[in-house]
Amino acid sequence: MERDRWSLRVYRLLLRIYPSRFRDRFAADLEADFAQMLASRGRRAAWSRALADFWRAIPLTHTHDQRTRQRQYAVTLGAESHMGSLLFDVRHAVRALAKSPVFTAVTVITLALGIGANSAIFSLVNAVLLRPLGYQEPDRLMMIHEVIPESKMPRFGVSPADYLDLDQYQGSFTDLGAYRTQSMELSGNGDPETVVVAQTSAAVFLLLGVGAADGRTFLPEEDQADQSVVVISDGLRRRRFAASSPVGGRLVLDRRPYTIVGVMPAGFQFPKRGPQFNSEPADAFMPLVFNPFERQARGMFYNHSVIGRLRDGVTLDQATRDTAALASRVQENYPPQLRNAFSVQIAATPYLDEISGQVRRPLMILLGAVGLVLLVACANVANLFLSRAVARQREIGVRAALGAARHRLFQMLLVESLLLAFTGGALGLVIGHWAVRAVPAVITTSLPGVSDVTLDVRVVAFTLILSLATALFFGLVPMAPGMRRELADALREGARTSGGRSQHRLQAGLVVTSVAFAFVLLVGAGLLIRSFTNLMNVESGISAMNVLTMDVTLPHAGYNQAARVRSFYQTVTDRLLDIPGVKAAAVTSDLPLRVDGERRAFTPEGWDPSTPMPPTIALTWAHGDYFTTFGIPVIRGRTFSAAEQMENRQVAMVSQNIADTYWPGQDPIGKRLKWGLPSSPAPWQTVIGVVGDVVDGPLGSDPVIHVYVPYTEAADQVLASPVAGFLRRMRIAVNARVDAASLTPSVRGAIAAVDPALAVANVTTMEEVVRDLSAPQRFSATVLTAFAAGALLLAGIGLYGVLAFGVAQRTPEIGVRLALGAGRGEVLGLVVRQGMVLAGVGLALGLAGALAASRVLRAMLFETNVYDPWTFAIVPVILAAVSLAACYLPARRAARVDPMVALRNE
Amino acid sequence: MKKPAAPLTPAVFHILLALADGPLHGYAIMQAVEESAGPTPPMGPGTIYGSLQRMEEAGLVKELPAPGDDRRRTFALQPAGRRALAGEAERLARLTALVRSKRLVPDEA
Repeated sequence: MERDRWSLRVYRLLLRIYPSRFRDRFAADLEADFAQMLASRGRRAAWSRALADFWRAIPLTHTHDQRTRQRQYAVTLGAESHMGSLLFDVRHAVRALAKSPVFTAVTVITLALGIGANSAIFSLVNAVLLRPLGYQEPDRLMMIHEVIPESKMPRFGVSPADYLDLDQYQGSFTDLGAYRTQSMELSGNGDPETVVVAQTSAAVFLLLGVGAADGRTFLPEEDQADQSVVVISDGLRRRRFAASSPVGGRLVLDRRPYTIVGVMPAGFQFPKRGPQFNSEPADAFMPLVFNPFERQARGMFYNHSVIGRLRDGVTLDQATRDTAALASRVQENYPPQLRNAFSVQIAATPYLDEISGQVRRPLMILLGAVGLVLLVACANVANLFLSRAVARQREIGVRAALGAARHRLFQMLLVESLLLAFTGGALGLVIGHWAVRAVPAVITTSLPGVSDVTLDVRVVAFTLILSLATALFFGLVPMAPGMRRELADALREGARTSGGRSQHRLQAGLVVTSVAFAFVLLVGAGLLIRSFTNLMNVESGISAMNVLTMDVTLPHAGYNQAARVRSFYQTVTDRLLDIPGVKAAAVTSDLPLRVDGERRAFTPEGWDPSTPMPPTIALTWAHGDYFTTFGIPVIRGRTFSAAEQMENRQVAMVSQNIADTYWPGQDPIGKRLKWGLPSSPAPWQTVIGVVGDVVDGPLGSDPVIHVYVPYTEAADQVLASPVAGFLRRMRIAVNARVDAASLTPSVRGAIAAVDPALAVANVTTMEEVVRDLSAPQRFSATVLTAFAAGALLLAGIGLYGVLAFGVAQRTPEIGVRLALGAGRGEVLGLVVRQGMVLAGVGLALGLAGALAASRVLRAMLFETNVYDPWTFAIVPVILAAVSLAACYLPARRAARVDPMVALRNE
Repeated sequence: MKKPAAPLTPAVFHILLALADGPLHGYAIMQAVEESAGPTPPMGPGTIYGSLQRMEEAGLVKELPAPGDDRRRTFALQPAGRRALAGEAERLARLTALVRSKRLVPDEA
């Protein structure tokens, strides 16, 4: 019934196509008839009849209407019904466009490319910056993190003890909630898989303002003591529980049963990607319960994300200030020796900035670049239209002389451009759809808040508006001078048609603009390419060739003793070495190039307490031949012996920069260091070797100071802890003599041989890790290069078009010149000179524009000057070469003009 | 406009035929035409009203002043319409006789 009502509404709308007199008289009857047809014969039959009826009745009624009017008002042109003349114009436009297929094709393709590229980039922008997050008033959410200036690290998460203080002291937020993510093994009903679990305070769902779709979220008391309850995402529900509601059922995580109390709505995603920590969207949520040790531990466990919702009336700035002011109160609770060693700052930042802050700028730059491409495309199409308008002056003049009203001529031309623009827009949408699919998955999954980028209603609307705007632009601007000219002049000029001065100037202006925009885009692309090359040439400190890695997390059940955990990884490492083709194998707590390892405060032997605390070091726990596996050179000393790998001998290896910084000019071998502050009771570790520096973070960042210790030194209580998955989730890595990816089944097999129930996750090669790390830069550079190439091509075509058209118009003049003795070289030079003057002006303007615009790229560039002389030297050469080629073709045609033929046409 | 020259268009002929038994509204005309026109592409209300409008001007039909019970416009045949219908019927009959005499279709009798 509801759909019938819609049918009627649509039908009523379609009735507007009939001439108004007919409608006034019969609309009510037509509606009643349609309704009766719907009721008695069904929607299908009613609509097929109605559409066939429109097909026959519209011409019938319109011609009748026109005839009636003509009878009534004698011969008044322009007084026909709008719809009738519009239909006429559409048919006329189709015929006219079909008659000049090259013009039509070039116009449609130019528009389609411009609009396609725009809708693709806009889809990305829409997905990242415009699409709602699915939380209530996300602009009222803030994230809190801690900063320890002495650590030289930009920021930390919040420690449990500090979080509990903040929750108690703060007044700016209705609620604070903490969360952290970890991988867990999901088993029972189906294959084991590794899932991301977010442990959250009960308040987190409350302050996000999202409730469960089925069941409930956490009760306030559930984050106080371990309750073994879990809330699952809609995605997990669909994967593991077919149709029935899983609420009340069991979920086995790390081989421990949990009761499912709720299912989140479809589309709910938390945490979002983007923030530095805990930013993997979770499949399941469990209450975050701090154990007594965590509750009072100061100066460690800075790995929790904290989110808060602003109280009504509190502004972001106010909250930022108030939160910062809490630092001193929190720090008072630190033990004195910690308080003296370092300071803690607390910072609150808007959640939206955390989510999309890092990508907003690159996306906006791409959006700007693609806008320039569209402008160049528009300029080109405008040029095409201008040339065509000039050529059609005679036709228009004849029409006007025969009595066509100006507004009718205008409507006719407008219909033509609308038709072109909509065809281009539709084609552009298809291209955009393809282009979006071509965006590499690593980009879409690394973008915050995005699981997939699709063309949605907004994008279609955007494209439609673009098409309309361009159509109006072409319909109105290029036609205006043609319309302004006394139409009779067109006839007086006789057989020859030529544009007025204003047209020539407009066309020249459009070409100059295209060249200038192409220049700006080329410079942007050049700078990004330079930056990308610089980035790729940076020493990362490892050799990524043929290294395969995968993650294994040992569940507490079955691995509740430290000895079993150690023995598992030792056995796996041994088995890996038996695989043919494996050169070296290791088990490690973190991968190089990733900011996912442990950070610790440390004290080097001989450190002067009056100097600032050393920054925190990156700490890697490894078993097996870690350094050979990752190709990290051993510079001095030796690696861990077999004995040191089997029992704790308190040994460590350090990176070159530690040795250089803390023991300059001394032999670092035999020096000692310990965890924590000078006063800490931790035992001294002896340095047995020095290895090369490794970049542990985004490519291009400075290498951090790094300490490596044998896995066997990990404390028993950490390995056996039921809470922390840390050091139970390890990366298994092999360095192969063959293609690393081909060893995946063998490595999986070696793990399964020790424990067949274990889930393996994140299978990847180090080459992929490197590629993924540089993917955003590669993406920006590639896209901008494509845009620049497109703009260059369009500018070239524009220049060519204008010159070719000019030559065609001036053929008789050139013929006269040749007949009077001008050399062919002179004619060639004449045309080329004319084109190169335009290109030259474009180059000069482009240079100025690029100098001004390249500054916005500064934040995206790596070790590249925004005024990079190479880029600024090469771009004009490329543009000049393309311009010369564009000038040469029409010039050659001019030079080949046969004076006899040209003059005979006179 | 004067009496239209025969032959009538199929639409006009079928509408006249439908109205021969008495005044009808658009939907009823459509149903009647469906019957009389057989398997030819069906006519929708828009086509029928469009044709009625023209036929009205030609003096073949007239809209009745009072709308029908469900407030739809009702049209009735005018003398000129009846004459046109008769003329067309006669023409068709002549054609039929001619076709029969040439034995192009089997005799039903």
